[in-house]
Amino acid sequence: MPREIAIGGVLVPGLLVWFVLAVVLLLLFDWVVGRYGLYRYVWHPALLRLAFLICVFGGLALLTF
Amino acid sequence: MSVTEVPTAVPTTRDVFVTTLREETTTWLFVVKSLLAFYITGWLAMRLDLPQPSTAMLTTIIVANRQTGMVLAKSFYRAIGTVVGALAGFLIVAMFPQQRVLFLTALSLWIGACAGGATLYRNFKSYAFVLAGYTAAIVALPAINNPLEVFHSVVWRLSEVLLGIGVSAAVSDVVFPSRIRDDLRRLCRAQFANFIDFVQRAMCGKVARADLENAHLRFVRDAVAVEDLRSSVIFEDPEARARSGHMLLLNQRFMATSTTLQTLHHLINRLKRKGHEAAANALIELYRPLAGALDAPIEAGAAARVLLPRLDGARDAIRERRAALRARMTSAYDMLDFDTGATLVDRFVDELYAYVETASQLQAPRLFGAVAERVRFERGNDYLGSALAMLRTSLVMGALSVFWIISAWPSGASAMLLATVFAGLFAAAPNPTQWVLHTSLGFVLGTCASFICQFFVLPLMDGFGLLVAASAPFLMIGMAMMAWPITAREGVGYCMGFTLTLVVHNEMNYDVVFFWNDTLAQFIGLGVTGLAFMLIPPAVGSLWLRRRQLEQLRRQVRLAATAPLPGLRARFESVNHDLFGQIVAQTERGSQASRNLVAWTLSINEVGRTLIELRNDMAGRPLPEDMHEAIERTIESIAQLYEHPDAATYAHARDAVAATTAMIGGDDAMWPLLNHLNVLRLAMLDEQSVLAAYMQAPTRAQGVAHAA
Repeated sequence: MPREIAIGGVLVPGLLVWFVLAVVLLLLFDWVVGRYGLYRYVWHPALLRLAFLICVFGGLALLTF
Repeated sequence: MSVTEVPTAVPTTRDVFVTTLREETTTWLFVVKSLLAFYITGWLAMRLDLPQPSTAMLTTIIVANRQTGMVLAKSFYRAIGTVVGALAGFLIVAMFPQQRVLFLTALSLWIGACAGGATLYRNFKSYAFVLAGYTAAIVALPAINNPLEVFHSVVWRLSEVLLGIGVSAAVSDVVFPSRIRDDLRRLCRAQFANFIDFVQRAMCGKVARADLENAHLRFVRDAVAVEDLRSSVIFEDPEARARSGHMLLLNQRFMATSTTLQTLHHLINRLKRKGHEAAANALIELYRPLAGALDAPIEAGAAARVLLPRLDGARDAIRERRAALRARMTSAYDMLDFDTGATLVDRFVDELYAYVETASQLQAPRLFGAVAERVRFERGNDYLGSALAMLRTSLVMGALSVFWIISAWPSGASAMLLATVFAGLFAAAPNPTQWVLHTSLGFVLGTCASFICQFFVLPLMDGFGLLVAASAPFLMIGMAMMAWPITAREGVGYCMGFTLTLVVHNEMNYDVVFFWNDTLAQFIGLGVTGLAFMLIPPAVGSLWLRRRQLEQLRRQVRLAATAPLPGLRARFESVNHDLFGQIVAQTERGSQASRNLVAWTLSINEVGRTLIELRNDMAGRPLPEDMHEAIERTIESIAQLYEHPDAATYAHARDAVAATTAMIGGDDAMWPLLNHLNVLRLAMLDEQSVLAAYMQAPTRAQGVAHAA
């Protein structure tokens, strides 16, 4: 994975792509968990979401760079 | 509601101390959270080498709020506004890089349009418009001498704002979040309990007209408040998001039920006043089972579900009583009045049942099934008012631009920037002159604090830790001010002024001359904005706008008379409630204007709703041509009456209703239509309603004779 990618001639950091992907995954996760009321089993939902985002983003970034 | 003597206990010193501390905790929690977000953002911005860390830090201050959901909602719309505004600014620079007049004109118009758009919304959506306006200025103005730089300006601005938003959102969501979900739940519960209680009291005995009007005021406030909170809470809580559709439906059913209740009550009151005691008493007897059914203790938990079978029972009891009560009617008129009332009772029970059912679904721990009916809460907007806001903002920008061009003022950009920000931020506020005044005061204070901090404290410091230590005490003052309701506006101004003028950079630059030049320009920008708000007074809250809103409210009857039927009921009710809520917020409580307004609203609600039901029933059945035409003519005449209320239109509408009622009266198959027409007829003849002003003495006597 290149460190910078060109979108329409503009160089953006490659990490940004993974970040956006991680956010999309987070939204998906959030929607599913919220829809089925699974947040009741979690002590601190916001912390879980933040942790999920960091894990996914970190994992993706470390795997590809 | 009930007046009970509360024994006044003298609190001990310890109690006072503990409660004070508890109240203060939330204030200081807010301060700590805001500081945390502020410095984390600052640190990250400096670490990432962003050119203006102060922009990112300013963002955290602007979105700061005690409640997490508010922060998230504001952040969301701020992000949207920033992206749109940055793109617009980019486009404007790209189109007129070398034409300062065209450039400034385009910019002024864009900002004006955004400020106008902001006045159309009453939640954070308006904030997105404001942001779209001033972000364009923020990215375009610094690049004016060097248009090729605008792309970088856009990218940096976006990164800074999004960074600030991200950190604020994460901090307020993770560190001791305070949820508005709980507020919303409390509000919904209170709304439900109040309403059921009110219905129960209304079903037990007589509720005076004044009581009914007060109750309606409260219901409207509740409905609008629930909608406002709902639009923020969906950002905070995924479960609330999943329930959002149900919540909308609940609110809609609440509005429908309260309108029907009102219509029913007006009907009974009118019958009583006209001396038709037999029909009125029979109707009261008819719905008596409801009072017993609703007389259940409403507590948290399964309350709503408990009511459902009882309501079912009441519905059956009402059906059983109906025939017996109807047999007691002696004259044909009484029979007709009774039938009309009984139809309303049926409709009311059905609506109440649907309302309670939705409430019980919402209270259940898990939702089953999708929302049965998709509804929207529509708003009533006044486009002329927003055009005025657009004009004012564009004029401010235009005047400043001209001054800037003529004087070749080096700090002109700063003045324009601040004027843009303030003109946009306060365009939608109810009393913007006050707002600007208070915030400007805070801004000046903040600038002074920033001066002291920047030139006496910071030069002695080195490194990020010491920066925090040096600036935090100054900032804490402002944030504590933000947390107290009385000084909230000054606090926002203080924090903005402090952050804007402190201009934190990786390599700090201490330049007193630059500081004062820039600050002076910002003060001038503030002053011009304040002046503009005084010269072109805001439409919001003025007598002129109120009159226009009342006219718009009356035009709602036209909407009910002519708009396509699908979804019309929800549309009618929500726009009514929104408009009414807007006007109520601007009139003094208990004043003549306010009473007049409530009277109009009740009348519009009742008549409009009846028209919708009438049209619904008409659509479902084949009608002889002449009847169809007569009813259409009646509907049209009523719509006209509400559009231009005067004695002539009143007489016309009244006669049309009477003629159509007489025409249809003979036909048994038409009884549902006849019932609606009877409601309309009684509403027209009610001499305590707002329409009474248009009755003329001789015709009134004739009207009563006709009804008798």
